[in-house]
Amino acid sequence: MDTTALLLTLRLAATTTVFLLVISLPLARWIVFGRSRLRPMVEAIAALPLVLPPTVLGFYLLVGMGPRTGIGRFLTHLLGHPLAFSFSGLVVGSIIYSLPFAVQPIVAGLRAVDPRLAESAAVLGANEGKIFSHILLPLASSSVLAAAVLTFAHTVGEFGVVLMIGGNIPGVTRTLSISIFDQVQNFEYAAANRTALFLIGIAVCALTLVYWRRNAAVTVG
Amino acid sequence: MPVARAVSVILLLGGYALAGAQTDAALHVAAAADLQPILPAIAADFEQHNHVRIAITYGASGTLTTQTENGAPFDVFIAADMKYPERIISAGLADSARPVLYARGVLVLWARRDSPVQPLSLGSLRDEKVKRLAIANPQTAPYGRAALAMLESMGLTSQVKDKLVTAENVAQAAQFAESGNADAGLISLNSAANPPLLHEGTYVVMPPASYPPIEQGAVVLRRAHDAKIAHAFVEAVAKVTLQPSGAVIQPNAQPAAAAQH
Repeated sequence: MDTTALLLTLRLAATTTVFLLVISLPLARWIVFGRSRLRPMVEAIAALPLVLPPTVLGFYLLVGMGPRTGIGRFLTHLLGHPLAFSFSGLVVGSIIYSLPFAVQPIVAGLRAVDPRLAESAAVLGANEGKIFSHILLPLASSSVLAAAVLTFAHTVGEFGVVLMIGGNIPGVTRTLSISIFDQVQNFEYAAANRTALFLIGIAVCALTLVYWRRNAAVTVG
Repeated sequence: MPVARAVSVILLLGGYALAGAQTDAALHVAAAADLQPILPAIAADFEQHNHVRIAITYGASGTLTTQTENGAPFDVFIAADMKYPERIISAGLADSARPVLYARGVLVLWARRDSPVQPLSLGSLRDEKVKRLAIANPQTAPYGRAALAMLESMGLTSQVKDKLVTAENVAQAAQFAESGNADAGLISLNSAANPPLLHEGTYVVMPPASYPPIEQGAVVLRRAHDAKIAHAFVEAVAKVTLQPSGAVIQPNAQPAAAAQH
């Protein structure tokens, strides 16, 4: 198996997961407990990557944020290189592409918490930050875990965006999914099979973990 | 029962969609990505004269070969080299013993007019302003292989190794350079000498001796419904593409021999 691609893929998935948890926790909190009327719209936008083909994202990242637009030039200036064909470009793409897989489980988890618990805590004098970190988050912890695992697994499985903006550079943008694509194109079916089986293994483990934790949470709750 | 009705409607629609896909009488053509700029015009002309609809799928020759070997419904395969059609022949999928040579490919270096590497010349390949150079995937795209061979024969391999960005096929390599994400690209003359790349940038023809000739071959597949029309289409393509320069050039373009235009 292409170990360089494996390590790169794991690094990409881990980086994306960390960024997405940092982004999704406050975003999900705002979607569930915020007061703005824009919440349904924001929730819808956060779900867009589920329904749009990855080529839409790839197209905008490549052309809209390429060196021919103002945003693209600003990003190039900021990063020192264009977004395309770089690891940071893949991270940006993955964050957008996997956003719903982080936001949706956390939103669902927070919504499932009995609101009377938060109200009781408020009556007892806890402020909103404390209620979130001490009551809501611990109660929704299996959802946060699910968000992390799904984000990780979905990023490992990313293909279309990487194909469009990656440039297939070993160690930088050649992920496992691209490596499988190359192997298939090159008639290396045995190698493609090994890599594919490995990915299936990762996916089964990740999903088993999510459902096992979910069932455990239901049994305890 | 509403559910039963919904299911029967879905089944009906599904059946209709499947039936529609199977009775499609068009000539299905799998074509190397370097033909994307020129094939639509040839196909449109052929459609008009022969009263047949042509459906073209573009891709890297290797990709299309894999797909064909695995049952893709193509009638004609127009590749960017001879190796892939020969593979199709030895797999027993073609209706002839050897591919039809329909074109000789020309490798060019292309860059946008506003690229930092302008003015473009052969020496641009050594230019430090070229931070990213797009090529097609050498594993699956003949133009990618030609690009690597050219760089090797000019002693540039180690110098440009870290600058190479690999596109899935030669059309995507052109797109990487056209969108400005790569500073230049090693692409086909077919792409560079036709709109929109012709207007947006300039190109330099790479020395033909610096890479093995890109002999492009086509085969008609056995599964073709109408082998006669399929062969006629290959001939129609060859008539346009087998010109002395080896590639199609728009009348308003300067000849490929001009190092820069």
